[in-house]
Amino acid sequence: MKRFSDGDCVKVLALGKEGHVRIPHYVRNQIGHIAGYCGTYLNPEDLAVGNTSGQAVDLYRVAFEQRQLWPNQPIPKHDMLVIEIYDHWLAPAQETSDAP
Amino acid sequence: MQDDKGPRGYHDVGGDAAGTIPIVDLPWLHWEKQVEAIRGLLGDGTRRIVSLDEVRRGFESFGVEKYNSLSFYRRRLEAMTDILIEKGVVSHAELDQAIAQGKAKWAEFDPKA
Repeated sequence: MKRFSDGDCVKVLALGKEGHVRIPHYVRNQIGHIAGYCGTYLNPEDLAVGNTSGQAVDLYRVAFEQRQLWPNQPIPKHDMLVIEIYDHWLAPAQETSDAP
Repeated sequence: MQDDKGPRGYHDVGGDAAGTIPIVDLPWLHWEKQVEAIRGLLGDGTRRIVSLDEVRRGFESFGVEKYNSLSFYRRRLEAMTDILIEKGVVSHAELDQAIAQGKAKWAEFDPKA
């Protein structure tokens, strides 16, 4: 069962995981919006250590305002980063006044 | 490196100052295509011998010095080899032997090799 739908406001978690993760440092703790659903995939954190029997997890496209990610840069408001993030790295979040 | 965003690997450089980025098309060398072809075969759905994520875990464990000294495909090649040895698919001895045989074969064609 999908937890999120397009347009939902989400926060990227900082899970503190060592080893291979696909969630870059700069996007952790950031708030964005669901921009698409990619389907379910085996967790790369499992696959990285040779475990192919783990549970498949939902993968979402999440959109962030670039100027929110890089506050010291002169970036237009409409410039977005869209990045794919696995469900277990996401939490529901509140809209902020600055959100698109 | 660690702060409230959790661990950050040396490969995770997004947002770091990079200076001027050279925008040039590098040639895609034959051996690089071979590395990618073999990696694709090792990771495909019917074999599942070495996944792309295992290869990534491999070069993310090199240590920053080795990581930065290798090209994209050298990293993939080294990591893939490490994982094959780690899983016991090939042994160090078998690999060394195969490399020696390959070098000997090429030496027949090119004495400088």
